[in-house]
Amino acid sequence: MESSEKPAALEGRLKRLEEILSRLESDEVALEEALTLFEEGVGHVKEAERVLAATELRVEELLASGATKTVEIDTE
Amino acid sequence: MSDDSLDLFDDIEGEEAPPEEGTAPEPGTGITPDEPKVWSVTQVNKAVRTLLESSIDSLWIGGEVGQWTRSRPGHCYFTLKDDRAQLKCVMFARESQKLPVDPEEGMQIRVMGSLTLYEARGDYQLVVQKVETEGADGLWRLAFEKLRSKLESEGLLDAALKKPLPRYPAVVGVVTSPTGAALRDIIAVLKRRAPWVRVLLSGSRVQGEGASREVASAIDRLVATGEPDVIIVSRGGGSVEDLWAFNEEPVARAIAASPIPVVSGVGHEVDVTIADLVADFRAPTPSAAAEAVVPDAAVLRQGLRGMPDRLARGLRGTLRRRRDGIAQTLLHLGIGVERRAGPLRQRTDRGMAQLEREVNRMVERRRQRLRAAGGRLDALSPLATLSRGYSVAQAEDGGVLREIGDFTVGQKFRLRVKDGEVISEVQDLEELDSA
Repeated sequence: MESSEKPAALEGRLKRLEEILSRLESDEVALEEALTLFEEGVGHVKEAERVLAATELRVEELLASGATKTVEIDTE
Repeated sequence: MSDDSLDLFDDIEGEEAPPEEGTAPEPGTGITPDEPKVWSVTQVNKAVRTLLESSIDSLWIGGEVGQWTRSRPGHCYFTLKDDRAQLKCVMFARESQKLPVDPEEGMQIRVMGSLTLYEARGDYQLVVQKVETEGADGLWRLAFEKLRSKLESEGLLDAALKKPLPRYPAVVGVVTSPTGAALRDIIAVLKRRAPWVRVLLSGSRVQGEGASREVASAIDRLVATGEPDVIIVSRGGGSVEDLWAFNEEPVARAIAASPIPVVSGVGHEVDVTIADLVADFRAPTPSAAAEAVVPDAAVLRQGLRGMPDRLARGLRGTLRRRRDGIAQTLLHLGIGVERRAGPLRQRTDRGMAQLEREVNRMVERRRQRLRAAGGRLDALSPLATLSRGYSVAQAEDGGVLREIGDFTVGQKFRLRVKDGEVISEVQDLEELDSA
């Protein structure tokens, strides 16, 4: 399921974005690498925005068996 | 109550009115009317005990704690004294296990209990149900301080041990009561700030007998799954006693042992618990704990909105820094990307897709040109530039020779031109003044 994997990647994506930016701003980066980084960065921005567009908070209860079951928590 | 003690009891009460003349002895006792009636010690102690227990209701007694000892099964024996007298007291395990800590010698306390006689020894004593200190929460404070200095001496409160919280957790573990207000508060905040996260709830009782162990094992179970990026340990406000589980050793140990960062949010602003001291981050309330663990989606989105701009700026900067001919070409190309991508960035959603297509097109174009040239130049080669009369110098190993320092007199190198390679040799080197 896509939505279950993507949030996990958010931390990594945003960290990678920071890396890409600092690499792009450094003196050593070669042109080919700069282009690749730019391309990769754009991809991460797109994916991160997709993750942030989620609206449903998933709440699961951890059972004694180690299994989990989805629960509804009324926050009204 | 045995018949023996009843007899004696009756007799004691009957002392005011002496027995009538001629009361017959019980047959077969062998006691003649003139001899005094002899009771056994057991009978007497039973009778006195009955008298004590039936004639004095349970009461509060204030005094100073003498020696306090706790037996292996948890029964506590102590004396309560003032400057002129002392009273033996016993507090059985069922009651004493509710004490946060044993009072220390010399402490002023008040106890509630009932008087009785310990028949085997003939000692009279108070069976204690409750112990309180003069200051309302003195014992709690004492217990708190004792555990705190214990954990402190083990180094478990060191600031250096505090783990940093993840900035963008994907899975948030929550240890609290599944039916409490704390959970509702936490969920409400996560829903608002970070609806993309997955919440893993490990339910536990948070007050009452054994709650501390339950909370500890709920933490352990979460840790065992290895899934949470951060764990919230929480309960809503309440009295000192309600919050006590979070001041007990099991919870403190479980938090300290967790390799996953733990945020505490127990009670209200003013309540500081041992759990707070051991946690990697102390939030004043359950809601504040939830806010501490996730970033605000609105702020994140705003940050992302500026990203394409920053990336493009970075790319352009790189292009500018290159001084050779190849870089010049790509600089133009880069500015082209900038110019075309600029207006798109005003609307990120749309802009991202187009910007990406733009880059893909650019990369694809370069690949095609390379294929057309069939050369073994690295993918950097902008053949269009070569065709305009520029050339690229390459060392024997294929590396691009960019500046004067890359050459030595007598070195052989290849000059890549539009339609082939010129094998060359360096005769002399002249540096430009401006370089």
